[in-house]
Amino acid sequence: MTGVQLSFYVLAVASVASALGVITFKNAVHSALSLILTLLFLALFYLQLGAMFIAIVQILIYAGAIMVLFLFVVTMLASEASDSELADRIPWQRWVAGILGLVLVGALSYLLFTGTAIDSSAKATGANSLAHVVATQGNTEAFGLALFHGFAFPFEVTSLLIIVAILGAMVLGRKA
Amino acid sequence: MPLSAYLIVSAILFTVGVVGVLIRRNPLIIFMSIELMLNAVNLSFVAISNSLDSADGQMFVFLVLTVAAAEVVVGLAIIVSIFRTRRNIDVDDMNLLRG
Repeated sequence: MTGVQLSFYVLAVASVASALGVITFKNAVHSALSLILTLLFLALFYLQLGAMFIAIVQILIYAGAIMVLFLFVVTMLASEASDSELADRIPWQRWVAGILGLVLVGALSYLLFTGTAIDSSAKATGANSLAHVVATQGNTEAFGLALFHGFAFPFEVTSLLIIVAILGAMVLGRKA
Repeated sequence: MPLSAYLIVSAILFTVGVVGVLIRRNPLIIFMSIELMLNAVNLSFVAISNSLDSADGQMFVFLVLTVAAAEVVVGLAIIVSIFRTRRNIDVDDMNLLRG
């Protein structure tokens, strides 16, 4: 077993275990911490896949900014945040959810194993390939070139989305 | 590692997120499960980007990250304002559109 395989299996088990922690911990703070752990493991996956910029952004923005926002709200609502011990309105909900989850993961795995392989003509080659750009320009430069050459318009629309989100949060946070 | 290995991990993480949305009644944890699903999809985007040797998948991850940030800001603001009017954040009790 090579190092890449070993690190893949360790990361796969760790990320799935911490993801299960998110949905099973009773205390919402523990769930949030478990989610931060999952996000860090995913950042390591991205590093393994050669997406260095995405891995750093994942740690800074996701595990840093977004999850801190989450923890603020969780601790603010702490008295109510632990999942209530109330009786389930639908008693068989958990069992059905578990069975449906197994069906979903089975169907996805079946499709992944039997589906058609990705057309090799879709693969970028020569000077267009990511490996070539990374080798000649560097990792973050390759990301920036792709973002501002092919995806400049979606990038600009993103700023509109953020403005709308800020306005929405201000309207909702106003003293009613 | 083959591409399908990463996609299987991504499928498992996505399913954990779906089950979380179905079984929990705390809206904050339902929100975290949605974040988990977004991240599972991000993992498959990065894996396919690596497999196709193209940076396009990483662009999608970048855009999903922005959408997730906007979604969290608005969603948490909604949860806080629900808490301010009702003092209770069990999703089973939220069955009215008006406060």
